[in-house]
Amino acid sequence: MLFNTYWVLFLLPLAALPLLLERTHSRTYSWTQLLPRDRLSDLMGLLLKILAALALLFIILGIAGPHTAAQKVEKVGEGAQIVLTIDRSASMDDPFSGAMISGRAGESKSAAARRLITDFVSQRKNDMFGMVTFSNSAMYVMPLTQSREAILAAIDAAGGPGLFQTNIGSGLTTALGMFAKTPDSGSRALVLLSDGAGRMGTDAQQKIRDWLDRMNVTLYWIVLRQPGAISIFDEEYKPPEDQPLPPSIELHQYFKTLRSGYQPYEADDPQSLALAIDDINRKEMKPIRYMEQIPGNDFTSHCFALAALMIAALLGIKLLEVKTWR
Amino acid sequence: MIEGQIKEFTYQIGWRSRGRHPGRHASAQRGLGMDFRGHAPLISYPDPRRIDIRQTIRDPFDQVWVRIFNQRSAVPVFVACDLSGSMGFSGQMRKLEIAAEITASAAYSAFRVNDPFGFIGFDEQVREDWMFMSSTKVHGAFELTERLAAHRPGHIGAAGLNDVSQYLPRERSLVLLVSDFHTPLEQLERHLGSLMRHHVVPLILWDAAEYRNLPEFGIASVTDCETGARRTLFLRKNFRERILQAFDDRRSALEKLFMRFDMPPLFIEDGFEADDLTEYFYQFVAA
Repeated sequence: MLFNTYWVLFLLPLAALPLLLERTHSRTYSWTQLLPRDRLSDLMGLLLKILAALALLFIILGIAGPHTAAQKVEKVGEGAQIVLTIDRSASMDDPFSGAMISGRAGESKSAAARRLITDFVSQRKNDMFGMVTFSNSAMYVMPLTQSREAILAAIDAAGGPGLFQTNIGSGLTTALGMFAKTPDSGSRALVLLSDGAGRMGTDAQQKIRDWLDRMNVTLYWIVLRQPGAISIFDEEYKPPEDQPLPPSIELHQYFKTLRSGYQPYEADDPQSLALAIDDINRKEMKPIRYMEQIPGNDFTSHCFALAALMIAALLGIKLLEVKTWR
Repeated sequence: MIEGQIKEFTYQIGWRSRGRHPGRHASAQRGLGMDFRGHAPLISYPDPRRIDIRQTIRDPFDQVWVRIFNQRSAVPVFVACDLSGSMGFSGQMRKLEIAAEITASAAYSAFRVNDPFGFIGFDEQVREDWMFMSSTKVHGAFELTERLAAHRPGHIGAAGLNDVSQYLPRERSLVLLVSDFHTPLEQLERHLGSLMRHHVVPLILWDAAEYRNLPEFGIASVTDCETGARRTLFLRKNFRERILQAFDDRRSALEKLFMRFDMPPLFIEDGFEADDLTEYFYQFVAA
């Protein structure tokens, strides 16, 4: 049994007051010893005191707010801890390369991504989601949470114009930082949704490698391809003389060297994006253990109800009280 | 209390007073009375006004005889009043108001027949401030009765009855003992023993609200007037009957006890009537 406000319990001795003090309104009688002993009367007198004491006791207990402790029940379900890392650079507001075919010419990449990810989040009931957006630097939006409304609202809020830079390193480290604060449930995924890529320093690369490894996180990279841009799966691509590899291919090469899981997708229209997300949905279906909190029972209202009952009984007896003695 | 409203009763005593002051009561004092006691020679009682000629002629030894009479004397009248907590009980009337009425009546009745009147109040002990010295000038007593009617006693007992005899005169007096006698019988018996020298008339003040006029049904919390102890009473038919029975038993027990001391008690329950007291004296005291 726990109490919300423990100090109120110090008032508990007050409940003994009716036992110690006598009732003030009392008639004088010349000689009570002359009245014969009456067991029922004595019982009634005792009952009055006990009722009053109990009423006070339950009121004080009610004020203290008794409840049982919240219980944690371990449940096994299918789901994962997923951090959505979404690119908010200005190029995300452009339409897909395959816009003419999909018939949704007006839908920008970010809008499509938001729509599909909203569906994805709605499908997965047991998952914990976190969210980070990034453009020139990472923006910590929502830590890993089970609250559906919060994450859907966060996804909804991720729209709007962004900047022209793509700082992938910062986005990834911020996203990985979320896993550090939450215990591992068995299945962890980082969904990186971006168009194009940026370069990362070797320090950032090393840090990300370490963290992915240590936290056992699978990385899913969905590249929303520009029309006519180079595919990251193009093994044959040779950059022009004296030019470095394009950043997306370089990043792909780097991701492939990760020891933890990595799965790239390339989407140039909403359908292929949906397919990629479906694939992630399928893959991240390992059973996970998680603790569900069952709130404790609150006994406050019970206490007050009992006190009310006692007071009602007292009032009932009060009605029986002699009003006209003579 | 205005004198016109004071009820007067007549009283007599069944014994001979030794008081020297002339009064209305049978006396053992020789004097100018109508109470023929016998003859004495003129030599030993030289009062030629009372020569009994018939007795003198009949005497073969030619002695001159004189008739001897006893005078009628005054008898001190006292009211000994219980001032304990239970006397503060007010039912249909406050008991102390009735006690004040009795006191005034007794003072006035004594004054009318030239008897000295005194008042002794007691609770746990005899209260010096509730004392009125025996006197034929009774106006002080009337002032005292007013004080008495307004008195509110605290939680206090009535054990002072034991000491009342020390404040009474040596000569036999008429003592109206006003109390409700709500004390244990053994204690009362002990105290009454100290008053045997005097002619005691116990006036027992009970109130109908104490037992006969109890509520039919209900719960009441009561405080004892004398000890301050509390009790809760759940009044109902059965319990009321038992209370009535307890008071009936108490009444017969008190009557039995007082009769053992030859002090027939007078119960006063519905206000004081002086005629009741007059009747009491006619009934129990042979003139």
